Amino acid sequence: MTQNEHRVKGVDHAAFPTFDPAATVRFYRDVLKFPVVHSICAAGWGPEQHPDFIHFFFDIGNDDRIAFFYYFGHQPVGDPQARGDAWARLPEGTPEFFANSRHLAIHVDSEQDLLEYRRRLDESAWPVEMQVMHETIESIYTHDPNGYMIELTRALRPVTPQEDLDAALTIDALCEVATGADPSLEKLLTRKAELIVERAAAWEAAQQPETVSS
Amino acid sequence: MTALFVLDVPENEGVLRVAEQDPLLVLDKIGPYYRISGTTDEVLLDRRATGSRHAVWYSAIAGLQDAHIAQHDKDVLRIVSSHRCDAE
Repeated sequence: MTQNEHRVKGVDHAAFPTFDPAATVRFYRDVLKFPVVHSICAAGWGPEQHPDFIHFFFDIGNDDRIAFFYYFGHQPVGDPQARGDAWARLPEGTPEFFANSRHLAIHVDSEQDLLEYRRRLDESAWPVEMQVMHETIESIYTHDPNGYMIELTRALRPVTPQEDLDAALTIDALCEVATGADPSLEKLLTRKAELIVERAAAWEAAQQPETVSS
Repeated sequence: MTALFVLDVPENEGVLRVAEQDPLLVLDKIGPYYRISGTTDEVLLDRRATGSRHAVWYSAIAGLQDAHIAQHDKDVLRIVSSHRCDAE
């Protein structure tokens, strides 16, 4: 992919509904200390009788933003005891891992910064639920007042070029296996081994001039 | 030959060190991957000897060649030939 093809510049905003704007502001502005950077107060209009609403934004660093919609008079639907969040309650039997698969991960630069956010959360009504060392990142997790899972994460080391190759081979194998019969990790890894044999040596040879010149 | 591939990244050093010292295993390199082959149609690795964290351990396999994962739990990874009759 050339630089010209890839022109986007990160997250402008990711938006979520809330039924509890006061708690949402406490969590993001007062606990995490994310600045409020923008808001829109809008009268509802249009053929669907859109409710009046407030759209408000918090800075999550790098000029990226998380945004919320609060709709006046609109009530949540679904069983409030069911797994899920303000956007939707999930059907009975939905496993926790699946519910938590959709989440927002916010980057921090250092262990010191990660622990600072851990401290802020642990002193609040939304303490850290989990702190995990993954393969190459360390993360803390909690759920915000709307039930959205929020992760704060730091890299344990920079990503290496061979990990980009590995990701490309994984994705090619995944697309083949996931569109075939009975997808499984074992099938993916078997197909990926074939791709490694086909491509990995040539990839490494192509890296050499860059290594020498840098 | 039954083999697994492991990417050459710092987290996998423990797995590669243990494999290198195991007389039943053979290592060779294809690009940035190490291929760990079993001389007995089997590759058996113990996480405790590798010093790998669990998240690293469970994501260390980059590819499988003539291989079926017979066991991959918190401490043991055992792959066997996909042609072996006890492959499950």
